Amino acid sequence: MIAFSVISVSIMLILGIVMYVRFSNSARQDTIQSTQKLMEQTGEYLEDYLISMRQISDAVYYNVIKNDFFEGQEDIQRGMNLLYEANSDNLRSIAIYNNHGSLVAAEPVASQKEDPDVTKQEWYVQAMAEMENMHFSTPHIENLFDDGTSRYYWVISLSRVVELTDNGDSHLGVLLVDMDYSSISRLMNQINELNNGQYFFLCDSNGEIIYHPRQMQISDGIYKENNETVAQYKEGIYEERFEGERRKVIVNSISYTGWKLVGVIPYSTFTSGMADIQYFIVMIMLLMGMMLVIINRVVSDRISSPIRKLNHSVMEYEAGKKPEIYIGGSLEIRHLGWSIQNSYEQIDSLMKTIVQKQNERRKNEIDALQSQINPHFLYNALDSITWMIEGGRNDDAAFMISQLAKLFRISLSKGNTIITVKDELQHAKSYMNIQKVRYKNAFAVTFDIDPEIETYCAVKLTLQPILENAINYGVSSMDDCGEISVSGKMEDGKIILAVADNGIGMSEEEVRFVLTDSNRIHKHGSGVGLVNVNSRIQLLFGKEYGLLVESEPDEGTRVSICIPAIPYTEENRKTLEKGYIFDEEEVKPLYADAMERVKKNEE
Amino acid sequence: MKNDKRIFILTEAVLGILVIILAFLMFREKNGQDEQKISVIVQNSEDSQWHAFKYGLAMAAEDHEIELYIVSTGEMLTASQEKALMEDEIAYGADAIIVQPAPGEETEQMLKEMQNKVPIMLVESASLQNGEESEIPLTAPDYYAMGKALAEEMVKDYGKNLKGKSVLILSQAGESEAAEQGEKGIMEVLGNTGVQISRSVWDSSEISKEDFMKRQPKADLVVALDDTTLTAAGEYSAVNSLHGAVVYGVGKSTEAVYYLDTRAVECLVVPDEFNVGYQSLTETAESLKHSFYEMRDRNVEYTVIRRETLFSKQNQEILFTMSQ
Repeated sequence: MIAFSVISVSIMLILGIVMYVRFSNSARQDTIQSTQKLMEQTGEYLEDYLISMRQISDAVYYNVIKNDFFEGQEDIQRGMNLLYEANSDNLRSIAIYNNHGSLVAAEPVASQKEDPDVTKQEWYVQAMAEMENMHFSTPHIENLFDDGTSRYYWVISLSRVVELTDNGDSHLGVLLVDMDYSSISRLMNQINELNNGQYFFLCDSNGEIIYHPRQMQISDGIYKENNETVAQYKEGIYEERFEGERRKVIVNSISYTGWKLVGVIPYSTFTSGMADIQYFIVMIMLLMGMMLVIINRVVSDRISSPIRKLNHSVMEYEAGKKPEIYIGGSLEIRHLGWSIQNSYEQIDSLMKTIVQKQNERRKNEIDALQSQINPHFLYNALDSITWMIEGGRNDDAAFMISQLAKLFRISLSKGNTIITVKDELQHAKSYMNIQKVRYKNAFAVTFDIDPEIETYCAVKLTLQPILENAINYGVSSMDDCGEISVSGKMEDGKIILAVADNGIGMSEEEVRFVLTDSNRIHKHGSGVGLVNVNSRIQLLFGKEYGLLVESEPDEGTRVSICIPAIPYTEENRKTLEKGYIFDEEEVKPLYADAMERVKKNEE
Repeated sequence: MKNDKRIFILTEAVLGILVIILAFLMFREKNGQDEQKISVIVQNSEDSQWHAFKYGLAMAAEDHEIELYIVSTGEMLTASQEKALMEDEIAYGADAIIVQPAPGEETEQMLKEMQNKVPIMLVESASLQNGEESEIPLTAPDYYAMGKALAEEMVKDYGKNLKGKSVLILSQAGESEAAEQGEKGIMEVLGNTGVQISRSVWDSSEISKEDFMKRQPKADLVVALDDTTLTAAGEYSAVNSLHGAVVYGVGKSTEAVYYLDTRAVECLVVPDEFNVGYQSLTETAESLKHSFYEMRDRNVEYTVIRRETLFSKQNQEILFTMSQ
């Protein structure tokens, strides 16, 4: 996705730059072309204006001054008046001076200033210097007539030498046509109204400025213009750097005068004109960027969403729930989903098989444990009965057989592993009766049982191996002073059945290994006693239950059976035998119900 | 996943904000930035003596892209009238004001108060405080030097013959500070030449131009320290020869030049009014563009013009600015 984004952004950038370069080149070209066009039009207008001035000069010279001044003074004045009136918008004055600088005729008629000394004025000097040409001056103040308004007019003088005839004598004179500068400045002001840094100025062939929008700033040195260099340029477009600024200069020559109309386009004008396009392109790129981010998001979402859903269902599965594995999205992801689902189904099936096998294995193990007890005890009991019959103690043998019958009845218990505490105690009593006979009452047995516990579940044949151990290791070697006490009570929702003897006891090390290492203590009996019982209890009730062995050498041993107080019902029995282990929270309400029932029964 | 979503929203938000900023910039570009406005208050603003000044203002306004307002005023503005005009201009959105201070002692205090609202540039005035630096920047010619230049021209013309001649110094009531400076300059040169100096101040609100000129005592030389009294003296001299007095003075209008051209006035000292306008507006515009810019006093040049040099290239440019 990052690679896709980088490529897209790069393409966008390249596109943007190409667009900008193309737009800017085109806009620059347009600006130059429109400037050229404007300059051509302005140049044409200026040429027309100057031609009209030349025509006025020609008309005065060839149509008016041809008359003899002596005879035709009035005609000359009338002709000049007509020409002046026809062009008064653009003309300031028409005047004819003789070769001494004296005024011969002027229009409009106005009083001449006192000694204007025209022979020293530039237009007069130029005309006299090059008689064959017409001369356009640079703008200057007309210093010839006093019209009484106390105003000074800015004019451009067109002067030429003319031949004057006065009373038949011909002599040279100068014809002056003063053009109103405001006509030109107005036109130039109009084209300079563009407020984008671009401007136009007019200079003569020497670079003398005729019009410049910053004319006064230039003469005051506030602003600089490259007019002297530009005056040397021919018509065309030039690129130059002036005062640290890069600019395009377009030069247009004005016919007859040598004047140059100059258009200046600073490069900043191009860039300022491009600001809109710059903004536009950047905006398009930003919008494309926004779109790209959204598209990226949608595409990545479409790709990643099925993966996320699949991952979520797998995580739920791992957390122990059994969700449907998500199958969706593209073909690959659907295939992945199917594969995972199949795997989980196979795992489930395998797990069931393993659990089933495990249960069977446990049951077999319990059965094996039980079957390890029965032959062992049977051998002992039958040995005792044989011994009684042989000794003629038939009553005792009959008692033994009846006790053995009870013992086997409970041992059988219809094949159940779980029996009531009462039955287990009965079984213990039968066993102890048999053993007492066998050991010729060499020890005493007492039972101290809380009747409350008799209706709870117990594991079949758990007391017997403990009692067997108590006899074999505790009291068998003692002479008539051995005591074995069996107690049973309820303690914090648990049933504690304890077998205590006052025998030889065990060392601390022996106690530590008595429940963990079945190969360690095999001096007497079958050797499967306490370890078997402990394993059976823990298999049926869980690891927190089992046996507790307490012993002191020469003082005796106490072995306690700790099992949960689960009331004996058919349902609970079946549940326990199936391998279900009740946790503490489940046991509590069962125990509470049982207590309730006991109370009700008592009432 | 949440982090991813946050990055997505953040990216979209940043891009969205950039688009909005760009749209705003485009909109502003399209509508053009608001030009800053500068108002100009000078006495009798329609008078021809301000043509060059106004031309300078207009050129500077164009160069600095400033919106320029020249307030139309009458003669002899008082400090309170000037204050009212300035407040009006500020209310109409003027960001700065160029002002010719009205005569009167209360003007300085008033201008200081106004300076707290907008930048103020003084023109066409001597310093507000005698001899001390004003806190408000000023663009003006050196009136003292102009007075001195006028006196030096008299000395050039008459030399030792000045001794015993009477000199009448004319000034307008509203320009007392400038006139005072100009007079000091004259006295600096003529003080030891043995001339008899008299003074006359014209208050146009009390007496007409003709009556004022009629009442002037006979003098050999008349020195007008401002354009108004110079044109009045020139006009009177042109018609009535002013008892044969030779007129010198400070002028800045085409009328003043005309009287020089027609020999009614002998010599003119012309302050560069174009630059008074251009420099004052440039300085004010700079202070508006740059917050920490401190406006400074600007001193402009003056030119001594005589009839012989009236149409020189340099003087034609002065006439050009006056004719705008």
